[in-house]
Amino acid sequence: MTYVRSRITKVDIADIADIADIDIINTAVSKESSLIQDEYKRSVAHYLIPFSRQWSNPFIRFSTLKVEWEVDTAHLSSITEIAIHPAYQQIIGMGPIAIPLILSEMKRKPGHWFWALKSITGEDPVLPEQTGQITQMTEAWLRWGKEQGYLR
Amino acid sequence: MASLGQGTRVFKVSEETIEHLFPNLRKDSYFIASPETIDYNCIAWAAGNSEKWWWPDPQNQYFWPPGIPREETIEAFVKAYELLGYSICQNPEYENGFEKIAIYVDSIGRPTHVARQLSSARWTSKLGKLEDIEHTLDGLAGSKYGYVAVIMKRSK
Repeated sequence: MTYVRSRITKVDIADIADIADIDIINTAVSKESSLIQDEYKRSVAHYLIPFSRQWSNPFIRFSTLKVEWEVDTAHLSSITEIAIHPAYQQIIGMGPIAIPLILSEMKRKPGHWFWALKSITGEDPVLPEQTGQITQMTEAWLRWGKEQGYLR
Repeated sequence: MASLGQGTRVFKVSEETIEHLFPNLRKDSYFIASPETIDYNCIAWAAGNSEKWWWPDPQNQYFWPPGIPREETIEAFVKAYELLGYSICQNPEYENGFEKIAIYVDSIGRPTHVARQLSSARWTSKLGKLEDIEHTLDGLAGSKYGYVAVIMKRSK
């Protein structure tokens, strides 16, 4: 077991990030599968990588904060309460490096990322008639992300 | 314990989550009425809309009825529902010919949640981006949504 662990700790951070790319094409997963997948990714990351390195890695930092934020705010209607959550504010504090991570997450699963994206980028590609329509708002930001080169 | 029919397995995770968030639901019967979706929230659902997320956010990113102050105050929420024909009343009991809503507020009076009464006299709520449930008013009272501060009604 020690041998396995010592080998696995050499796994490149990019390999962990690749797990996220797998998610992007899994568009028809159940809620339970998604939860299990998220927990699996977190447990793998915790096992493989020392916490100090995890936190310095933007993808792992983003994923950890995202899970904390989602769990704590899922029942809320107040966008203000959702956006002032400490984990969400830490994601905003990551700055431009968080933009592709947020957009990839939005591509996988729509969420209340609009406040964060507007705060980080200073832009808002959502048309006034689209306000509150999550699917259309998400599509507008994904389109923006492609135009800006953040998404393929 | 939620009374669940078809789709019990689908809602199992949600049931545990919901009862953890709203322990008062365990005292009364409630059930999950639809799968979770982020397309709309409780404010919209109470207004009869299942296509938009309503909130008076300062960034103007979410829907709020035009002409109503974008403020997280009970006054602004009352005005929003007055636009839909509701007026304040005192009694949450079911009245034939009327549809009622209940506005919950937190400890400092900020609106947190809105529930709508059904013809069964029970209440329907969308829990953030989680599921719709049918419940009693007390079932959602507590540390998360606070308490019911205003009841409004309109003719059906």
